Amino acid sequence: MTVAAWAAIAALTASAGLAGCASSSGSSAGAGAGATSSASASTASCTFAGVQDELYGKGVLTVATDQPAYPPWFENNKPGNGQGYESAVAYAVAAQLGFKPSQVKWAYEPFDSSYAPGPKKFDFDINEISYSAQRAQAVTFSDSYYDVQQALVALKSSPIVTKHSPEDLKTYVYGDQVGTTSLAFINSQIQPTQTPKVFETLNDVKQALQTKQIAALVTDTPTAQYISSSEIPGSVMVAQFPSTGEHYGLLFAKGNPLVTCVNKALATLKSNGTLAKLTSKYLQIYTSVPTIKP
Amino acid sequence: MGRTGEVFRSGEPASGSGEAAALRIEGLRKSFGAHEVLRGVDLAVASHEVICLIGASGSGKSTLLRCVNLLERIEAGTIWLDGQPISRRGVDENLVRRHIGIVFQSFNLFPHMTVERNVTLAPMKVLGLSRSEAVSQAGELLERFGLGEKRADYPDRLSGGQQQRVAIVRALAMRPRLMLLDEVTSALDPELVADVLDVIRELAEGGMTMLIATHEMGFARDIASRVCFLADGQIVEQAPPAQLFSQPSDERTRRFLRRITDAGRL
Amino acid sequence: MEAQGLPDLSARRSRLLGPSDRRGLILSTTSTVVVLAALLAIFWLAPGSAQVRHTFFNPADMWRSFVGDPKAGYYSVGAALWLNIRMFVAAEILILIVALFVAIIRLSTGPVLLPLRVVATVYVDVARGVPLILVIFAIGFGVPALQLQGISSQSAAIYGVAALVFSYSAYVSEVYRAGINAVHRSQVAAARSLGLSQWASMRYVILPQAIRTIIPPLLNDFISLQKDTALVGLLGAIEANKAAEIYSDTVFNYSSYTVAAILFLLLTIPLARFTDHLIARDRARRLAGAEQ
Repeated sequence: MTVAAWAAIAALTASAGLAGCASSSGSSAGAGAGATSSASASTASCTFAGVQDELYGKGVLTVATDQPAYPPWFENNKPGNGQGYESAVAYAVAAQLGFKPSQVKWAYEPFDSSYAPGPKKFDFDINEISYSAQRAQAVTFSDSYYDVQQALVALKSSPIVTKHSPEDLKTYVYGDQVGTTSLAFINSQIQPTQTPKVFETLNDVKQALQTKQIAALVTDTPTAQYISSSEIPGSVMVAQFPSTGEHYGLLFAKGNPLVTCVNKALATLKSNGTLAKLTSKYLQIYTSVPTIKP
Repeated sequence: MGRTGEVFRSGEPASGSGEAAALRIEGLRKSFGAHEVLRGVDLAVASHEVICLIGASGSGKSTLLRCVNLLERIEAGTIWLDGQPISRRGVDENLVRRHIGIVFQSFNLFPHMTVERNVTLAPMKVLGLSRSEAVSQAGELLERFGLGEKRADYPDRLSGGQQQRVAIVRALAMRPRLMLLDEVTSALDPELVADVLDVIRELAEGGMTMLIATHEMGFARDIASRVCFLADGQIVEQAPPAQLFSQPSDERTRRFLRRITDAGRL
Repeated sequence: MEAQGLPDLSARRSRLLGPSDRRGLILSTTSTVVVLAALLAIFWLAPGSAQVRHTFFNPADMWRSFVGDPKAGYYSVGAALWLNIRMFVAAEILILIVALFVAIIRLSTGPVLLPLRVVATVYVDVARGVPLILVIFAIGFGVPALQLQGISSQSAAIYGVAALVFSYSAYVSEVYRAGINAVHRSQVAAARSLGLSQWASMRYVILPQAIRTIIPPLLNDFISLQKDTALVGLLGAIEANKAAEIYSDTVFNYSSYTVAAILFLLLTIPLARFTDHLIARDRARRLAGAEQ
């Protein structure tokens, strides 16, 4: 036979072999739709023993978040110390599932890759990620562990502190962090005439505010609260906006059955007042924060 | 300076004194690193004289010419052009070079310019001629030497002989006092050499003062006022061609001429 | 001693070595097709293929990101490309000028210009030694922080262009230097012999020839510059890659990056072909001279 024919046979054999190899090595995260049906089979046992098969690492609950981990969600950039709202919620959920604090491991996952296709290196990711229907096509979200409102932070010297009627709000240059729902909020609710600036990290946004590249930054109320009270001298949380129904959820690999047990845990934490206690402990929402219309 | 009809006749000596040689060289020394190429050259060239430099490769003919137009810096000695010393430090080389034209073995035309532009560039930028003056001067010169049709061509379209003639025209366009010709036919095919030699002959007949380094002994014998033989970094012997070629007084000259004759070049 | 007999010179060449040979052509075409088909098959048959195809190559997401929807929180990648274009055009013009200036200073010989020469050499070393991303941060965040009148309140794109010019001019100045040095010494000799000053020789004789030689590496740097405009997104400017990132972070789909990649290819590939065309067209003219 000619060389060409041999080459064809070799190539096709190789590709078939690889395909066969890959598909026979287990389909834990690759499949997708199949997993949800198996989820209902395991609702019976959301205990330590019952969830073992669904874990990324046996015997351990692997929770991911980004670096740096900002207050008031985490403290001292150490997710493992149990302080900060999200750290505390993660440990509370773990406890509901029967994990001791020592059985919780933290992993680093940059936001941009947390929703990449393929198997994840964690059980769930907690990182102030808002739920949206589009996002839910790529990953699975838990129920809400925090309902979000957006707020404004500006320097005390900025005119926005006193002039923030809906018409005035349109005239300023805003800044926010990429991947947050703040940008959608700014563009759809505030509708400024000048394009907002989008920065890589929250630190970059704060820097931009301090150097007056932006008039105000938009972020969720607890973060805004923390920034204005502790981080940027001379800044103030101008106001918060009414809720648009946004909420934060824990992020799971698409179709991960563990979400069912986690949702049960969250429901329990809501009903027994744990979440409310953590909210008032870490998120320090002053009831006197004015709410303005965008 | 509008005497375009006489442009290839060298102008009167600038100093006004008819006695001063057009070019005078005394004790010229030039080294490249540790290698001393010129070891004390003395030469006087009067106006309208044609001096041919002959000698073996590496004897320093090219180096001598390049020292005259200050392309090379000399280690010792002095050069006078029309009685003015030009080899001192602090001399404005650009000014000196306007009055000395040089043509190289490898033509060195500017490949990114047409023939006409090659010829008009320096007259316009250095002498300050207007565009029309420079162009008309270039046109005359090119016509004179049979290159009129080529004025809009780029050098790569010309034969070697044509390029060399353009190089000569380019130097002439600056109306130099003195022309230096550095083996200008050595890189040409034999059948093209004659055209270039004709041009040089015409220049000589027109009275241009010239210093020519060459291998063309027959040509030297025809047009030279004097032939200088270079060896060991010095002018060993200089004499009118008839005398030097038939009765050389130095043994080195004899040896050189014998080699040339054996090679059939004389 | 007689020479040995020559081998049979008229024998046919081995089949595998002749590209113009018809069978060789068939073989090379077939093997290319087969290899490509095998790669495609591997991609298609991999277990995660459906998910990858949806995440990276989903037409609906590609279209949405190309068009944009600010109210939903993401911008048009296609429109954002316009910012990249403006940035690299402005940067390239400035780079060509600044780099030439730096190159000429470095090539100068007079004692008067010594301080400038030292500064130029230090500049080239620093600009080539520091990663571009650091330069962008330094200028993009540092200059506004200085709070200088006027200078500190420019847009991110302006700082980005400044950083790109700072960094690239060093590389391009070296290209200029190489090109100028590559012009044969005989051209300098001819120009100076006509009485042209150093500057006039450079301007009329050396530079025009040097530039013809260095157009391919200059275009190469230009293509590189086009892609480096992506880094300006780090300063908050909404350029194409940033818009792609915003889309992907909002919707959790990477297809916007595919769109950005395609758009950049549409920009750079014609430029690369144009470069090849210029090289071919300019060859003849450079070979003038004694080589007849």
